[in-house]
Amino acid sequence: MRTKQEYLIRYKDGNLYCELADIWIDPSKPVKKALITHAHFDHFTFGCEEYISTRETAILLKERVGDNIKIKTFEYGEEFKINGINISFHPSGHILGSCQIRFIFAEEKWLISGDFKLQKDDTCKQYEIVKTDYLISECTFGLPIFKWDESKKIANDISKWITNSPEKTSLLFCYSLGKAQRLLNEISQTNFKGNIYSHDSIHKMNNSYKKLGIDIKDTIKIENKKKIDELKGSLILLPPSLSKGSYLKNFKNIQTAFASGWMSIRALRKRSGYDKGFPISDHADWDGILEVVKKSEAKNVFFHHGDSEAISKFLVEKESINVLFFGN
Amino acid sequence: MSLKNFSELFVDLDSSNSTNNKIEVLKNYFLSNDPIENSWAIYLLTGKSNKRFISGRYLKNLFCQIYEYPEWLIDTCYLKVGDSAEVITLLLKNKSTSRKKKLSNISLNELLSKTIPDLSKLKEEEKNLQIKNIWETLPEENHLIFNKILTGTFRVGVSIGLITKSISKLINIDEEIISHRLMGNFEPSIDSYQFLINKKINLQELNSKPFPFLLANTIEDKIFKNSINDFQFEWKYDGIRMQLIKRSGNVSLWTRGQELVNESFPELVKKMSNIKDDFVLDGELLVWNFKEQIALDFSLLQKRINRKSPTRSIQIKYPIIFIAYDLLEINGRDIREIKLENRRIELEKYFSKWQNRIENNISDIFKICDLIFPKDWPDALTYKEKSRENNTEGLIIKKKTSIYSSGRKKGIWWKYKVDPMQLDAVLIYAKGGSGRRAGLYTDYSFALWKDQELIKFASAYSGLTNIEIKELDKWIRKNTIEKFGPVRSLKPEMVFEISFEKIQISKRHKSGIAVRFPRITKWRKDKKINDADSLENAYKLMKKIS
Repeated sequence: MRTKQEYLIRYKDGNLYCELADIWIDPSKPVKKALITHAHFDHFTFGCEEYISTRETAILLKERVGDNIKIKTFEYGEEFKINGINISFHPSGHILGSCQIRFIFAEEKWLISGDFKLQKDDTCKQYEIVKTDYLISECTFGLPIFKWDESKKIANDISKWITNSPEKTSLLFCYSLGKAQRLLNEISQTNFKGNIYSHDSIHKMNNSYKKLGIDIKDTIKIENKKKIDELKGSLILLPPSLSKGSYLKNFKNIQTAFASGWMSIRALRKRSGYDKGFPISDHADWDGILEVVKKSEAKNVFFHHGDSEAISKFLVEKESINVLFFGN
Repeated sequence: MSLKNFSELFVDLDSSNSTNNKIEVLKNYFLSNDPIENSWAIYLLTGKSNKRFISGRYLKNLFCQIYEYPEWLIDTCYLKVGDSAEVITLLLKNKSTSRKKKLSNISLNELLSKTIPDLSKLKEEEKNLQIKNIWETLPEENHLIFNKILTGTFRVGVSIGLITKSISKLINIDEEIISHRLMGNFEPSIDSYQFLINKKINLQELNSKPFPFLLANTIEDKIFKNSINDFQFEWKYDGIRMQLIKRSGNVSLWTRGQELVNESFPELVKKMSNIKDDFVLDGELLVWNFKEQIALDFSLLQKRINRKSPTRSIQIKYPIIFIAYDLLEINGRDIREIKLENRRIELEKYFSKWQNRIENNISDIFKICDLIFPKDWPDALTYKEKSRENNTEGLIIKKKTSIYSSGRKKGIWWKYKVDPMQLDAVLIYAKGGSGRRAGLYTDYSFALWKDQELIKFASAYSGLTNIEIKELDKWIRKNTIEKFGPVRSLKPEMVFEISFEKIQISKRHKSGIAVRFPRITKWRKDKKINDADSLENAYKLMKKIS
């Protein structure tokens, strides 16, 4: 067995790092060269000299943080070389532009899953099975209690939730990028035909999606002093950061909900303070992670993001997969 | 008519924070379901029974066995979810893809009157097979209800008051009547539901049922502006609040939790049966020191509560007394609507009548509560401070003109509790919470100094705000010394002010003391662990009282 230092990719200062190429993956602090798996802010930090991502991610990032960053882009499947290492991006199904990153060096394959899901999502490319020797996978929902319903069912539940309270304004909280667009896409296929409003941060992302050729239902940008009657029976999409504080005072007679995978657990639902929780996630559930581990044919697996103890132990005991640990 | 409707009701109630909304949801459920289904729904929602048919542990083991899951994995899931029934429900979801059997559509009635009770009759192997079969044929959305009923953990944020309100709205009858109809035993049946929603009021039907209890509110400052003469003052005893009912010659003892406890206190039932009058008394049951005329500790009363048909020697060892506060009905006449001061006159009149009968001496088991007569409010405060000396918790203050309505009615009765005792203690262990607090460390153990050692003296889990809980949870995860299952031992660093009501010697605890109702009242971030109190200080507190 090799020591930690001898792995092609390892953990350094809490981030994934490939020393041979001197390149970081989704670093949390400024570095020279950063590979970005997708445009969520917890995977991006300002101040890197150079970013490399998919074309879609680059567009979304610039929309969010401005043109002032230097990003090199590659298409899915297109191979590029850094210090003799072959690198390529592959769809991870998380959000528009999200990717897994494959490294090939000296006939050894490494795959970083990035955030991923296997579930159907018409607003981004479907997860692509990529064969590898080493897999570095996220495990945000790495317990068997997580089993996602089809997004169509959740969308119907949301539709029912709104139409059952026609006298109320329904506020649905969700992440501005990815989740909001996926929900819009699904909800537009349900029986709910009322008005949909969205907060500026979401509205902006909707437009970016449209520019990138994704079919997203038109929404009305929410203005602060909308007449109450106008909002009755309609749906308003808001980012979770607005759920606490005075913003809600802009509305009267509301019901609130949060769309997140964590909402599948009653205790978390109750504690969240929302009236209702819709368990829908852009991450893989337990079965999804296991499927990816299996289909990638990886002999060695690392987990990060989330509680990896249980899924690691399970794979070792049940599937005889070699689960490795980076240490800190 | 199916379990599905009830599951939907559960989801709707569970995801609503609005009382009005819940009432509306309940009303609609009652309107669109059969009486027998409604009757079972009320039975479940009011928590009239939460009998445990199977333990959560058993259910988890069974699941492991059937689906070949390692036990540790289920335990890890439990830490996140905090409820065995829900863990199994979520895990079953993962199994449902392999389900091929035809789904059954049973009613709530069938489930509760037949399917589940029948399980107890089966041998273990058959029982396990039957549970597996139910899991695999029951539609997914009903799993949680089934598992929760099975493990006796069915609970949803609905109070009996809410049920009362919704039925009251449904049939347009006063809440008080519905509340009375719902008191005591409720055997689910078509009849019991019909009785509940009967628009004709017939007081005879309510014969053995207690009246809805009137409860005291926490003291409010505005009361001190009133004349002291407007109020009646009583000691606040720490026993079991009870209604002692004798109607048509039959005595029944009802606790405030609406349990009939005749069997636990046969000597009281016997003595009261000999009284000639019929009556309903509101009062408190206590274990009593007759020599010194003082209440004994609640822990002694606990030795009587759960023991049915106590032996003579138990009766002598833990002698009980019923102290009457109030007379609510006399010889069939409901006097709840007359003023408290006049009810008191009636109470005293009848008490002296009963007491003076030579053939039935009741003074060894029954008395009426002594009144206190403070001169002014400062004097009332002095009485309150003295209440620990006679083993009471403070004062109850009642408006003399108050009528006996139901519930925690504002502005008529108050409790004026003695200030809690307090010690500053060091947090040394934390345990994962369950239910709503799953996934967070919310059960804490606190220690006091003994020489150079920290000795655990109390556990508490209430008193912190949600924000503080989250902050402390983070700290706990970073400052764990060791993990033992769900418990973590912690770096001694955090000091908290712990308040409690009582302190007494206990041989069961290493500290040698036990406290009652410990709770966190302040996170003393300003204090270092060396500033925390010692066990010696705790002993001093104990001496001060006794």
